[in-house]
Amino acid sequence: MEKFEKAVEVLKKNLADTIVECKVPTPRKAYILLKPERHRDAISLLLKHVENTELSTITGTDLGTEIELNYHMVCSGTVTLKNRVSREKPVIRTITDIIPGANLYEREIFDLLGVTFEGHPNLERLMLPENWPKGDYPLRRDWKPPAKIESESSPEETSQTESTTEPGDAESIVNVVVGPQHPALHEPERFTFKVDGETVVDAMMRLGYVHRGIEKAAEHMMFFQDVFLVERICGICNAAHTTVFCQAVEDIGNVETPPRALYLRTIIHELNRVHSHLLLLGVAGHLLGFEALFQHVWRDREPIMDTMERITGNRLLSGFNTIGGVRRDIDPSTVEMALKNVKAVKKRAKFYKTVFEEDATLRLRTEGVGMLSKSDALKFCVTGPVARGSGIDVDVRRDDPYAAYEEIPFNVICYKDCDTWARLMVRVEEVLESLDIIDYALNHLPSGRLRVRVKRKQPEGEAVSRVEAPRGDLIHYVKSDGTAYPYRVKVRSPTLANLVAFPEIIRGEYIADIPAVLGSFDPCFSCTDRMVFLDVQNGQKWRWSLDDVNNHKNGNGLI
Amino acid sequence: MPKKRRLPALIKDMGSCLFKKPVTQEYPFIKVQAPEGYRGRQIFHPEKCISCGLCERDCPAKAIELIEVSGRRLPHFYLDRCIFCYQCAEACPREAIEFSTNFELSTTEKAEMVVTPEEFMSKQKSTSDEEEKSVD
Amino acid sequence: MALDLIFFARVLVFPGFLFLLVLVLFFDWLERKIAARFQNRMGPSYAGPFGILQPIADYIKLFSKEDITPKQTNKLLFVAAPILAFSLFVFALFFIPIDGSNVVLGSSFEGDLILVLLLVTLANFGIFLSGWASLNPYSGIGATRVLTQFLGYDIPLIILAIGPAFLARSLSIVNITASQTLPFALLSPWCCVLFFLVLQAELEKTPFDIPHAETEIVGGYETEYSGRKLAFIKLSEDFQFLIGASLVTVLFLGGAHGPVFFGMPELWHVFWFMIKTIGVVFLLEYIGNVAARLRIDQVVHGNWELLIPLSILSLALTVIVEPLLRSVIV
Repeated sequence: MEKFEKAVEVLKKNLADTIVECKVPTPRKAYILLKPERHRDAISLLLKHVENTELSTITGTDLGTEIELNYHMVCSGTVTLKNRVSREKPVIRTITDIIPGANLYEREIFDLLGVTFEGHPNLERLMLPENWPKGDYPLRRDWKPPAKIESESSPEETSQTESTTEPGDAESIVNVVVGPQHPALHEPERFTFKVDGETVVDAMMRLGYVHRGIEKAAEHMMFFQDVFLVERICGICNAAHTTVFCQAVEDIGNVETPPRALYLRTIIHELNRVHSHLLLLGVAGHLLGFEALFQHVWRDREPIMDTMERITGNRLLSGFNTIGGVRRDIDPSTVEMALKNVKAVKKRAKFYKTVFEEDATLRLRTEGVGMLSKSDALKFCVTGPVARGSGIDVDVRRDDPYAAYEEIPFNVICYKDCDTWARLMVRVEEVLESLDIIDYALNHLPSGRLRVRVKRKQPEGEAVSRVEAPRGDLIHYVKSDGTAYPYRVKVRSPTLANLVAFPEIIRGEYIADIPAVLGSFDPCFSCTDRMVFLDVQNGQKWRWSLDDVNNHKNGNGLI
Repeated sequence: MPKKRRLPALIKDMGSCLFKKPVTQEYPFIKVQAPEGYRGRQIFHPEKCISCGLCERDCPAKAIELIEVSGRRLPHFYLDRCIFCYQCAEACPREAIEFSTNFELSTTEKAEMVVTPEEFMSKQKSTSDEEEKSVD
Repeated sequence: MALDLIFFARVLVFPGFLFLLVLVLFFDWLERKIAARFQNRMGPSYAGPFGILQPIADYIKLFSKEDITPKQTNKLLFVAAPILAFSLFVFALFFIPIDGSNVVLGSSFEGDLILVLLLVTLANFGIFLSGWASLNPYSGIGATRVLTQFLGYDIPLIILAIGPAFLARSLSIVNITASQTLPFALLSPWCCVLFFLVLQAELEKTPFDIPHAETEIVGGYETEYSGRKLAFIKLSEDFQFLIGASLVTVLFLGGAHGPVFFGMPELWHVFWFMIKTIGVVFLLEYIGNVAARLRIDQVVHGNWELLIPLSILSLALTVIVEPLLRSVIV
């Protein structure tokens, strides 16, 4: 909490002449509008004076005549530095020399909104395919899908450009392409590894295969319907997405969520975390060749799924949160069943902790592999268990408490070993912590209302909200213009933040370490790729989607 | 700090697994019951409907359409668009939409992908949770 | 070695091709069932009673799939390599006395232990060639891994196999099994334990199953194969498994010998052989299920720095300790 106040103080004192407007509408959230091109000074100041500051994401919003760029900085709370550029000539200086982790965010805004960042090392497309027409920026408010698109180059060309060796490579360098379909990946993503024998020399990523256009689609649906859309960004962290979206909208509308709803939200949030971490531990076993561990961990994950099903009505897509509270209540027999399951899973989780700590083959594969030093981790702005495995002590639940976390005691797990083993151990111990939190919350449920009735129209305003999703810090930015439909919804999920560090880590490691390191990152590419408009797998399918949209009655976005 | 490495800790656990029954549930040879409150197929009570259209307006997936049936406009639910979120049941002011625990909805007939009011008008109005449905 | 009816019956039916095929399919099913039980799940259950027809169903499926050959490979090599590997494995099995004597009666000779090991090595070359001929980076990596691992671990395998040969004073498998009044597993248990570990590496099972690491290199050397050729590769892997398990049985557990109660001695020999081999399979699966997969450099280091010195030591120990043990136990 003190870090946040310190950050705002520092900015107000040193940049008094640059600040046009400074608002602190809710605790730990500040929105500061700066004069043009002064964002670099503000960010450098924050990095110098406040420790463990990271960049969460950069949001671009089309305001009609201007494009507004929000730099969300994390210093316990969230300090949003706003900067505006004109729409005619959207050029701004980059911050990748100060914070290398901003690389992907600036590419995203370049891709979808058309803002050029001067000084960026490789300003290329991130999400849209290579044959998308230039000058077409889907996130702009006046963008309409054209009736018929001529693709400028055939799909075969685009896939070949990345897999040929460059003339400067040695004879022994082989390009190994992992993805988009590969047994090591659960979701499509393309990694091209330059390999010399068994050592990885370089790695290149290509994202955007599961691009579904959720941010644009969210502008065409009402707030309470958007909760369901946002939930389907990712099946595994669905509770985190709905929680953070509801919180952002509740901040805009000044809605006071009842305490019982906050506790229930916390319970579902933690159940999500347990199930996600157990899933990952099993997957890590599978990626390391340990099939038996995989099957056992997934067997022990079933009681959690059963509990979720009983409480929310579905194993995965809970549909539990809504704006103003939660939709269902939990009756005493369900509470009893949940407590019993939590106890059973806790016993097994303790056993798995000993397995991960002591098993020789697992340790041989994960110790000393994929080192990410603390300073590198801060530079690349990684979050979640990846950061905590490198000794950075950040956790949104403790630094910027939301839901019921102010009242529930818990520990933040932090390991200093900086390798794959530490990242996996962080998750193992977080499972135990989460089970304790669920136990506490179930035993101390306050009584009262479940939800507050909220109007469809929200007042004008904006809000940013962060939660600790299983994979790290998840941030939503919602802007409302006074109607029932949001003006802008921006989602940055934690895997995108962590992926920036992946090429750096994997350089110099063996091929056999690729799945281990990838597994310890716990990538969820469904979360990563949800940007603007339509599915862009290849030219053919894209044309089909367009016809579909044009023929659709209401002209609303496809989900 | 990493503890000393020992022999694989799973040896005893694995061995004991040999004597336990497998945890696999042999679905579909053994039927599985979803718990109460599961969001499955909709049950519609035509006698309660007042044709207000709130369900159609609130559906996030645009999966409900009000179509004229014997003189009244009644909702038809398109199961291939439905996301089973329960919003229609919440929005209905007369509680005419109810959810069952029927989750076995796969079929090879396109006609079965629509839940029509006729189905409920011809049957006896029952309030049971289970809906007997033959799966193709 | 007359080329008469008995010869053809033995080679083709029992204990020749047909019997070996049935045996291999049975062990495939057994392996999968044991692994499934270790993982608390069911394993094959629906194809035939207890799923015992599952391997046949899998091979029928493979035979009915489309057989694709990449355009730029050396076709002869691509097609011949799996067949070469397969035939060498089957031929090696002809020298293991499943019913007390070799498939071709009277063909055992001093040194056929070395012949069996040689044939297995050559067959693995065939597997390497099949990966190399595929012109795919994944297959190339898988093929080099096969070679690195197999050649490395062949050395301790041979050293450890000499132990029982010494105890029997003969290099002929039939003689080794015949002279086991007391199983050699008791006379030199250290050789037996190390042999198990080295066998895991030879058979490419966890923790040494790097050549098949599907999560890293998709399919390894079998990535480009499909249809009938893939069936050959898979069959040769299964035959290799049978050879490995039988080697343990004949070298350390007394082979096909055991008390004969009534009727034909051959059938009893087969029965005892099966019982012992099933026990060996069980142990191999157990080891395979409690460990994660090691990395190639760890495997290579483990071999040269750990297993070879240990196997030489254990061979020396066997030679030294043998007279003592014989006088104490017998």
